Parts: sequence; C-alpha cells; structure tokens
Amino acid sequence: MRHKQSISRKLFIVFNTLLLALITVLSVIPFIHLLSISLSSNTAASAGEVRLWPVGFSFDSYVYLGEKVEFFRSLWVSVKRVVLGTIVNLFLVFITAYPLSKSNDRFKFRTPYVWFFAITMFFGGGLIPTYILVKNTGLIDSIWALILPGALNVWNMVLMLNFFRSIPKELDEAATIDGAGHWIILWKIYLPVSLPSIATIGLFTIVGHWNAWFDGILYLNSPDKYPLQTYLSTLIMSMNAQMSSISIEQIKAMENLSEKTLKTAQIFMGALPIMIVYPFLQKYFVKGIIVGSVKE
Amino acid sequence: MRTLKKEYLLHLMLIPGVIVTLIYAYGPMAGLVMAFQQFEPLSGFFKSKFVGFDNFRYVFQLPDFGQVLWNTVIISIFKMVLFLVVPLILALLLNEVTKQWFSRIVQSAIFLPFFLSWTVLGGIIIELFSLNGAVNGLISSIGFKPIMFMLDNQWFRGIIIGSDVWKGMGYNMIVMLAVIIGINSTLYEAAEIDGAGRWKQMIHITLPSMAPILILLAVLSLGSILNAGFEQILIMYNPTVYEGADVIDTFVYRLGMFSQQFGPAAAVGLFKSVISLILVSSTYYAAYKYNGYRIF
Amino acid sequence: MKKIKPWKMMLLATMAVSLFTACSSQDKTATTTSEPVTTKEETKTNTPPDPLGKYADLVTVTEVLGYNPPEDPRTPQGIKPEENAYFKDLKEMLNIEVKYKWTVPSSQFEQKFSLAMASADLPDILELDPKNFEKLKNQDMLADLTDAYKQYASPALKKYMESDGGFAMKTFESDGKQLAIPAFEDPFLSSQQLWIRKDWLDNLNLQAPKTIDELEKVAEAFVKNDPDKNGKNDTYGIAAQKNLFFWGFDLRGFFNGFGAYPSIGDNQSAWIKDSEGKLIPGLIQPEVKAALGKLQSWYQNGILDKEFALKDENKSVEDITAGKVGISYGEWWYPNWPLNLNMDKDPKANWIAVQIPGLEGPGNTLVPKIRSSKLFAVNKKMKNPEAAIKMINFYIEMGNKKYMDQNKAEKGYVYNWFNPRIYNPAQIDTIYTEVNKALDANQTEITLDDENYKNVADVFKATKDFLSGDTSTASRGVNWGQYFSRAAKDGGWGMTRQLKESKAYVNNEFYGIPVASQVEKGTQLDKLMQESFTKIIMGAPLDEFDKFVASWKSLGGDQITQEVNEWYTKQATK
Repeated sequence: MRHKQSISRKLFIVFNTLLLALITVLSVIPFIHLLSISLSSNTAASAGEVRLWPVGFSFDSYVYLGEKVEFFRSLWVSVKRVVLGTIVNLFLVFITAYPLSKSNDRFKFRTPYVWFFAITMFFGGGLIPTYILVKNTGLIDSIWALILPGALNVWNMVLMLNFFRSIPKELDEAATIDGAGHWIILWKIYLPVSLPSIATIGLFTIVGHWNAWFDGILYLNSPDKYPLQTYLSTLIMSMNAQMSSISIEQIKAMENLSEKTLKTAQIFMGALPIMIVYPFLQKYFVKGIIVGSVKE
Repeated sequence: MRTLKKEYLLHLMLIPGVIVTLIYAYGPMAGLVMAFQQFEPLSGFFKSKFVGFDNFRYVFQLPDFGQVLWNTVIISIFKMVLFLVVPLILALLLNEVTKQWFSRIVQSAIFLPFFLSWTVLGGIIIELFSLNGAVNGLISSIGFKPIMFMLDNQWFRGIIIGSDVWKGMGYNMIVMLAVIIGINSTLYEAAEIDGAGRWKQMIHITLPSMAPILILLAVLSLGSILNAGFEQILIMYNPTVYEGADVIDTFVYRLGMFSQQFGPAAAVGLFKSVISLILVSSTYYAAYKYNGYRIF
Repeated sequence: MKKIKPWKMMLLATMAVSLFTACSSQDKTATTTSEPVTTKEETKTNTPPDPLGKYADLVTVTEVLGYNPPEDPRTPQGIKPEENAYFKDLKEMLNIEVKYKWTVPSSQFEQKFSLAMASADLPDILELDPKNFEKLKNQDMLADLTDAYKQYASPALKKYMESDGGFAMKTFESDGKQLAIPAFEDPFLSSQQLWIRKDWLDNLNLQAPKTIDELEKVAEAFVKNDPDKNGKNDTYGIAAQKNLFFWGFDLRGFFNGFGAYPSIGDNQSAWIKDSEGKLIPGLIQPEVKAALGKLQSWYQNGILDKEFALKDENKSVEDITAGKVGISYGEWWYPNWPLNLNMDKDPKANWIAVQIPGLEGPGNTLVPKIRSSKLFAVNKKMKNPEAAIKMINFYIEMGNKKYMDQNKAEKGYVYNWFNPRIYNPAQIDTIYTEVNKALDANQTEITLDDENYKNVADVFKATKDFLSGDTSTASRGVNWGQYFSRAAKDGGWGMTRQLKESKAYVNNEFYGIPVASQVEKGTQLDKLMQESFTKIIMGAPLDEFDKFVASWKSLGGDQITQEVNEWYTKQATK
C-alpha cells in the first residue's frame, strides 16, 4: 500500500531516528551514572570522582546488598502493595468511569457526580486531618493505609472516562437492543476494547504505588513494614538544615552515611523491577479496534 | 421506566467510589478550618483559636510574597506549555517510526527518569551544570566561556523548567500515544487513497483526533498553576537564585521549618485550591460552550 | 423510583465529617478519665527507693523512637528496634517492659511526632526538642519529676546533672517543678578551630597560620602552588558552602576571627553582651562587614570556590575527601568524619587543628551557653514516672565494665536505640583524660571501672590500633579519627581544652526558645541575610551591608532585639 518514499521522507526518517536516539541516551545517562557509582570503590565514590564509568571497580556493594534483609523485606512489601493497590484502583476507576462516561441525557445526575469527584482534585485537608482520618478508620500500620485513602484516583478516572467516550455509541446501542444491561456492556464490550487505555492507566497506577514513599512514613508504625521506596528514602537521609550543632551521636551516624556505593546500589536495584514493567505492558499498546470520533 | 431502571444500576456502580471519596477526600477537608485558626496540634481543631483571615493577611503581607507568587506563575506556565508541546511532538515523532523495536526502546527510555526521585536526580543535574560539569566542558571545548548556570537567575529557571520536563515528559507522551493508537486506521487509508502525504495526514487526521485529550490535559494542568515543583526546587536552589526561583511552596516550607506555623501553611493551601478551582471550572465551561467538549 | 438528590450527598458528607469528629472526641474522653498519678510501689514498701530496684509487678512503658541505623557493622542484620537486647536486660533487672507505639527513621521523627501530638496519641516517655517541650508544658501535659528525680536518680546521673552547676536542669524547671531531664553536652563542643592539611604546609614550606593575613598567604599558596604536588591546578583554598552559618564546613570560625559573632549556626543572629550588659545582635555589627569584605576579595582571587553558593555540606565533604581543599573551619569532631575519609583515600594526607586565626594573633570562638537539643519528659498520664528515671539509671549502668562481655553489638545491643539515654555531658573530656592517663602509664588496658568504661575503652583500642598500625578492626582513617578527635593532645578535643583554659571564647547569651517576633519574622530575616551576604561575597558593593542592616532592623530585627532583651532581664539564669 505504501507509496515510494520521497527523499524528504528519507531525510526525515534519518533525522527522526537520530533525535530519538539522542533523547534515549539522555534519559539513560543517570542510570549509567548510578550503576557506575555502585560498582566503584567507596573512596572514589565518596570523593565524587565517578562519572559514567566505575572508578576502582568493585562488586562489593552488590555482595553486601545480597545480605541486606531490609532491602528484600521492603521489596516484598512493595510487590504486595503494587498488586493489591493496582487491582483495587483499576476496579474502582473502571466502574466509576463507566457511568460518568454516559451523556447527560442518558444519566441525569452525571454532572453533580462528576463535580463531586473533581472537587477533590483541588481541595485537600492536608497532612494532619488526613492522618487523623486514616487513624480513626483503623488503617494505621496496615498495608490498606497505603491503598484505601487513594483508592480512587480522580485524575486516572477522568482519563478513563475520556477513553470510554471514544468508544462508539453504536456498540452499546446494539448491545442494549440485544437486551444487555450496563453490567454486561461494561465487562463484555468495554473491557476488551479498552485494553490499551487500561494498560496506560494500569502503568500509571503501578508506577504511582511503586514510587510513593511518604505515606509509608506517615501511616506505618515500624520500618519493617515499609515498602521499598520508603525504605530507600531513609537512606538518602538529609540532616535538618536548621540544626545549629550536631550531637556526638549524629556525628557517628554521619560516619556511617559514607557508604555511598551500597546506597547507590540499592537505589539502582530499587528502580530495576519497575523499569521492566513498561516494556511488558507495551504489548497491549496495539492499534485498537475503536471506531469513531470523540466529539459529543 | 426502562431507562430509570438502568440509571439505578449506574448509581450503584458509583457507590464504592463515592464512599472512598467521602471518607478520605472530603473527610479531611474539615481540616481546612486550620486556615482560619492559630492551629496548635496539641489543641486540635476544636480548641485552637480562631483568628479569621489573619493567616491570609500574614502571608500576603510578607515582603517577598509578590515576587514569590510571580516566580511560581512564570515557572509553572512554562512547565504547563512544555508539558503539552514536548510530549505531543515526541508522540508524533514516535508515531512515524516504522521499526517497532526502536519505537519500544525509545518509549521505555523516555519514561525512565520518572522513576528516580529529585533527591537523586537533583544532585546529578547540579553536577552536570556546574563549572566543572559536562555541559561547561562542552561549551569551553567549542571555545566559549564557561557559564555559572546554577547561580544565574535566568539560567536557573531554565534548568528547573527543562529538567522537570525532561523527567516527566514520558507520562503525557504515553497518554497521547494511547490516543494515537486508538485513531481509526480506515481514516488514514482513505487519506492515502486521496493522495495525502504523512504531513497532511498528521495535520488533518492525527491532530484533530487528539484535540479532546489535548484540551483535557491543558485544562487540568491549569489547576496546578500555583505548583511550580516543590521538591525539585527545594533540592536544587540556593540563596543566589532565591530572587528568581523561590516559589510559594518552598517559601511556605521555610516558614514551617523554622516555626511550625500550621495556620499560614493551610491558608496558602486553601488559596491555591480556590485559584485552581476557578481556573479549571471556567475553562471547563468555556470549552463546553464554544466547542461542545466536556472534559469530565 | 430512586433518586439521589444533592442534599442527600450533603448528608453523606456531613456524616463523614461526624465520623471524624466523633472519633476525636472519643480520644478526648480517654484523656480525661486517666487515673491520678500514684506511685504504687512506694505505698506498699517503706524501704528507701533504689535507683535500680526491681518492680514486683511488670511495668509497661510506651515510647516512640526516631532512630539511625545501628552504628556498629557487627550488629545482626535486619534487627528491629523492639528486638534491642537492652530490653531483655531491662526486664530482668527492673521488670520494665518497653512497647513502641511507633518507630521511624530519625530524619522523619519531627513530622511523625507532630502527627502524634495532633492526634493526641503520645507515649509515656517523651523525647522532646525545646520547642515541643514548651508546647507540652503550656498545655500542662508533663509529669512533675522533682520527687522521682530526687529519690531515684542514681549517683552517676546526679553527678552528670550537677556537672554544669545545675544550669541545664534549671532551664527545664517551671514553678519549682522539674519537667524534663535534659541530655546536654559540654557547650565547648561547639567551639571553632581551623583544620588544615599539614602535609600540604610541609610541601610548600609554610607554617600554620596564626593571623588572617597569614591564613590568606597559606590559602593563596594552596590555590596556586600545587600543594598536593600532582602537577595539576586542581585545588582551592578554604572550604565554604551555601550555608554560611551551619553545623559544619561553614564560615562561623572565619567571622569569629574578625571579632564578629553573626550566628551560632542556625542562620539566626547570635546575641552577645555589650559594655552596658545588654544583648546586641551579632549579625549586624560592623565587624561582620569587615569579614564580608575579606571574603569578597578571597572569592575574587579564587581562595573560595567560585560556586560555593551552590554547594551543600555533602559537596564540601566530597572536596575534602578528594583532596581538592586543605583548609576548613569546624568543630573538634572533623577527624571522625570526614577527614578520616581523606586519610584513607590519600595515605600521605595529614590534618592538624589550630586555633582560629584572628586579626592580630589567634581569635576567640563563639560558644553557646548550653548545648542541648534533646530532653526527656514524662507524660502526665503515666502511672510510674520514676520508671523513666530508673531507665536512665539503667542505661548509664550498662556502660560499666562488668557488662562488657555481654553488651556487644554482635549480641544485638544497639545503644543508640535505647531511650531515655542520658550520657555523661563531659563524656569527651573523660575519654580524653582517661585515655591519656592510660597511654602515659603505658597500660595495655583501661583500668577505669565506672559507667564510662565502654566509651573510654573503645577510643583506647582505636588509639592503640592507630599507633601500632593495626587495621584488623577498622581502617587507618577510622582509628585515626577516633584518636585525633578525642584523645590526641593536639587533636580536636585537645585543642578545645586549650581554648577553654585560655578563655579564648565569647558566649552566645541567648539560649531560650525563639521569641514571638522571631517565630513570625525569622524566616524572612534568614532569607534576607543569606541573599545579601552571598551577593556581597560574590561581588556586590560592600555597602550593601549597610542596606541589609537597615532592612534587618525594620523588618523585625529591632523588635526581636527588644524581646530578646526582655527575656534576658526576666528569665535568663545568669
């Protein structure tokens, strides 16, 4: 079917490939930097001498990492969190977006509902009230404290409902005539055609759960329950800038902090699992079967 | 009666989402009263003293508030625009790549920086742009004088904006790619028969089909006009660039660091919420009125 | 037909809010029904109170903990705070059991603690900073420890608290009630000295500087004359970073050399006594201007890093480790970290400490009145406030020689996880004296047999190892760090002792919590100072300083000065 490629088209392809390759390199550089530090000797690393190639090559930090109980314990928590959280989030996004994707004449109360959800994108009560609520609903120190408070991500829900709208009306009209109810339309018709969008939102949800660290500090009462990113954040501890003096004990703690290579190895290994999620989800990004435009 | 029965099911589907939102999003909003209190954690919301609009007055009258507000708006406007334009260009360029494997690698790579926190990336970027860094190395190798990027107000803003876009561009790009994938391929086939080239196809098919998602992203990003990127700036700035890069969130953070003032922080939060609600809802209605789009 | 009307939604929303309020008020009732404070044990027995007496019935104490990773690499992997072996002994010796409400890495402690305060969920024993102490005191939530302390404090604890004439204790007293036991340290630990690379001085045939002018010459030579003899122009003069006044790698000591006392390190002004006995803000005195002028010229000729305003303390540490800089102002502990890293990286490296150079001969350092950022208090609701005192006794007791076979990191003893822990305020000085005593007498072991044993023995071992070149326990740098910070006569603490004896110091007279106007204006003044000073150093006209002084005063500085002086006349213990 393709026309013969013109010269300008060929030029464009070359230019395009080079540009995208350059962007790819730029995006990978920080990871190479981190990997190099983790593979360097500790003195070279703490003197800041490592750039894109290890200095004083040493595999020690990965040997130590293999013994780090905390690392693997929190990695497991993260896996649990991502699996549970993604299932809950996707389910809620899916069943909430469906009714709201109907037009106003097919679902009369759409607009008040939509604003009910949308308001929460702008207003929040802040740290203390949210904490008190999580506490009073009995979630403190349980993995559900990391899942339930954000179980319905309104931003993802809005994306989803926009994806749903691009599903041609003829599809569910035909189904309605066949006598199918909303429930059946949702699972039998919408679900299969929305795989690319579910993969997109699923990716965001997974990444969101993986990267979240602060809620772990707030809602979990002991570090052995921390997910990976919360644990990692405690490694990159920064001293309080307002502190005017540092106590004898803190000095000793600073001494420990100079294990830069081990720290970096953990940061690097902590990013690896999530890095392979996207390529995996990519197989759902296939040209869809969706027909029609999005305009209401 | 038939439609009513169906609407009933739609309400039912919304129940889980409504409950979660009521408890964990609306519940904490009770904490907004802090904005009008001289809040003291030990006394709680019920016993803290009410001070009317004093907190707002205090913050708005601080000598640098005007400058800080201006910095916030200017930085975030640049970020908003670039966060639409750059991912759009990338998505379109990727769409022109015919080799699947290359496209997949580029997509995955662009998403990578998103997995690293600013605490990790901030240090790398500072190093990259310092006098001994790679960028200045390049500049002096082609015969120019090195530049102190991080100590110059204009350059620093540019780096803040550029690096944030670089880190986060994968996110919107993936949403856009998912939309491009959903475009009906028969449209392109018809265009090709009419003799339209790739460029014309992009102008007349791809872009119009993406209009709804672009408008959605644009409107929602307006909601964050007063968020210029707290963590990033906090990690990368220094006293010489306070003038051009101290933003609302860093400003409030420093207030809280020294004196734990909850009231003024809550007042600023509420102020930000109201502004974004106004911006988003007015653009929402504008888009509906003039174009017939309902964003959500 | 069912319809959900907007008002129904409102109803639901209010229900959610009431869920929120109902629960909080429940908390409140729980607070009010707590039992009055009684000491059960005493009503039963008439024997005199024993500082380490075992309770007949198990006493459970709740705590919260902000912690750093265990210091000793031999500590068992993956150990949790509640598994700390100290608790096993505590239960055996005193029949006290500790339950953590929560534990959190120390960098997040403040955040988590203010949430605990807001949700009225405080433990029995409280680790507080002065600001939170003040809040809890004002809400009358702290137990009176006067009697508990009098009756139960062990001789060692009493000795510690009286070591400064009871000054620190008195600071946390209110209406004759002792509300907290401060964990304070010798204020002289904050005094500034100049750390300088001796091997570089020798390479260039230079003497250690005594005056600012001499320092300038040395620093210039360190910039230009290739002090590390590597044939590369890759060194600069003096370490500096974006925080001019901080806890390390800053320029407090430099300013002190000019007789300027701008800040103790918190970016707020320090307060010194003028000739009339009033407190004046050190930050705006003319001496500061002179010092800034000097810094400006040093920035010009490359003694300061061109991008110092970009660097934080970690970057300074990198430069020191990498051997890019050989002079840094700082406290006694530098050998401990990060100088040891440099020693390990470069075997030729050798650092010495000298008194800060002044305009004419060595200068005077600024020293705080009190050095205490942490104190222990007891929740008023706790039934056995004396248990807290006994636990402090217990912790001190565990430092004795007889526990040393047991009290080891590899057996799961993590001392820095145990609270409440009070250590000897003169710990460093005790180590210095005892180790030197043992060295002079050529002993192979420490003979001291009191609660300081563990600390002294550790440094003694490191010293022995360093002097004999034994690196089986720790690297040469780490051993040297222990030795040169704590034990060496010309090292960190040795030098500090000399300062103390020769009275080469000036006191920061203000030690209260921030006054009202400081809370309100402090952040602004801090920003103003940082911007003005950094700009002046980087080349803005020196007269900008006069503008800064005027703005500082009008933006709240004058008010702060007044309030600080009110505090001084009314509350300060002179």
